[in-house]
Amino acid sequence: MTMQVGLKVWRFNSRTGERELQEFEIAAPEEATLLDCLDIVKDQHDGTLAYRKSCRMMICGSCGMRMDGAAVLACKMRMYDIAQAGHVPVISAMGNLPIVKDLVVDMDPFWEKFNSVNPYLQPGYEEPPDGKENLITQERMNVIHKEALCINCGCCVSECNAMEADPLFTGPQALAKAMRFVGDPRDGQKLARLEKLNGEHGIWECTRCYFCTERCPKGVDPRDAIAKLGAESMKEGIDRDMGAKHAKWFVTSARTTGWLRETELVPKTQGVVAAIKQTRFALDLALKGKVPPPFPPHVAKDVKESRRLYDLVRDQGRDGYAGIVQGERALGRLSHGHGVGDQTLEEIYDRPGAYHRPFIADEEADA
Amino acid sequence: MRKVAYYKGCLASLSAKELDSATQALAPKVGLELIELESVTCCGAGDIHEAEPDYYLHLNARILSYAAAEGVDTLLTVCNVCTLNLRQANFMLLGDTELRARVNENLVAVGVPAYEKDVDVRHLLWEIAEGEGYELLKVAAHKGLKGLKIAPFYGCQILRPSKIQGFEDPDRPWSLERIIEACGGEPVDYPAKIKCCGFPIIQAREETALGELIQPIEQAYEAGADAIVTPCPLCHLSLDAWQSKLKKTTGRDFKMPILHLSQLVGVAAGLAESELKFKRHVVSVKPVLEKLEA
Repeated sequence: MTMQVGLKVWRFNSRTGERELQEFEIAAPEEATLLDCLDIVKDQHDGTLAYRKSCRMMICGSCGMRMDGAAVLACKMRMYDIAQAGHVPVISAMGNLPIVKDLVVDMDPFWEKFNSVNPYLQPGYEEPPDGKENLITQERMNVIHKEALCINCGCCVSECNAMEADPLFTGPQALAKAMRFVGDPRDGQKLARLEKLNGEHGIWECTRCYFCTERCPKGVDPRDAIAKLGAESMKEGIDRDMGAKHAKWFVTSARTTGWLRETELVPKTQGVVAAIKQTRFALDLALKGKVPPPFPPHVAKDVKESRRLYDLVRDQGRDGYAGIVQGERALGRLSHGHGVGDQTLEEIYDRPGAYHRPFIADEEADA
Repeated sequence: MRKVAYYKGCLASLSAKELDSATQALAPKVGLELIELESVTCCGAGDIHEAEPDYYLHLNARILSYAAAEGVDTLLTVCNVCTLNLRQANFMLLGDTELRARVNENLVAVGVPAYEKDVDVRHLLWEIAEGEGYELLKVAAHKGLKGLKIAPFYGCQILRPSKIQGFEDPDRPWSLERIIEACGGEPVDYPAKIKCCGFPIIQAREETALGELIQPIEQAYEAGADAIVTPCPLCHLSLDAWQSKLKKTTGRDFKMPILHLSQLVGVAAGLAESELKFKRHVVSVKPVLEKLEA
């Protein structure tokens, strides 16, 4: 059985800067993926269309691109439902990377960041004394199970909000890869790695937008990997970054008053001197009641329970990344949810002014 | 009237008290009887999850336990970050009996009831975007917004990760638009409505955060919005209080009023200024209110 598929593809030539939204209408088998459809376009309609592909089975990581503004692996994306709904998706190159031609991006900045985390095992672990094989338990491997699934496709990097604002941010892929080695018991450079990851463009620049986790076609969950790196850094006493101090103040607040001690958060994060420089800004906020006085503190009822919980669990060996890994089994069972409430999908698509293509603002403006 | 446990979180308790008072006043009009939880703490805001993840789980289990102890099946939140932190901890516990048993043992050891009966954590947005809450909202919003152009700003953690939140398609959300329309306003559309406001790193990496913050404000401004509405008090703080810093970096003064979800619906439902507390905003909401009266 065949189906009719409509595609709008952003063509781009980096030499001339010319861009054009080109529409195609093709006949494809009902089981066709987006990649199959592009192959049909290239084979039967326009041989000049450029895109990357190789394995066609979600393991080489070549065919990352955007559909309706969201990064996908073209070979994973089945087109049947979209075609049946009569929707014509917009296909464009991934974000946060320079476009070379059409759907092909320059992956050099991606690989630079990938290489910056030394993505290979470094010697230094303790050999078993009897010269036997170094057996790693399943429990130890579970720590990096998700991170080890990464295929370097770049879908997470494409949507990273922090990287849009600061292109130097190490980014979700490289940081997830870093966790894959930090959590590997055979690696001998854990502390040196964590030190480096606590740098200016490291883990504390993550803005927790969760786009990486949402987009990853392999379930890597880079945001979780970054949280694991943060927790492990703190466990090892690497907490000089403002981001780490910020996080620690929440712990202190929860233990002492129960609620966040907001007013003290700035000096505790940035230091007293930097906080004084913010005085003018803080005064403006204070006039509106946005700077609650620290005294008397706003104390939660029964806060001693929260304090005792802290003392109790800190000795149970689930600090650092172990505290996050323990929840992965349950969270791993959840599937992505796209609820439509009591409306139909058509009602949502047809809403006047509904924005169907969230991330291709620049291209849209030119259209 | 449906009884729900109400967890207001840190900001609505302190710097965003206007969110709490507007929510308390609005709740009965949309069929919710709020039972405010007292013996609860901060959810950790993602920070404790990253600093002391095991403590994060226990803190949230304690909140869930006290909600369950009220005999309700829903824990109502008014913050994206609280919603994600509580739902994540809840799924960790509901999906792993061993883990739940261990956490419960610890809770009991410090005098907290074990978290036995399940509760569902739901944001106010979800309660009024569909079903009975939505029907009541349509009736309550009788004063309307008289065609005001409102830019919905979802923020991140109410949408993503969708495996934990899952209420709506994270790329094509519809709940805020539907509520704006029900209140007689006109939703304004712009790409950054589902992106980050920069708040989590606004202190540790201000420059990067401001690079994110500018997007929704500039885009909503250029789309002709009279105001932005958000379901998250952290987004609100960032968009409202840090907006003035954009003057320095971009030379532009947007003066874009930012409303909490409860305030927007509250205006349409005719709540009093004493409940809406617009005086607590940094960017004046006056132009919006004047346009309504005109």
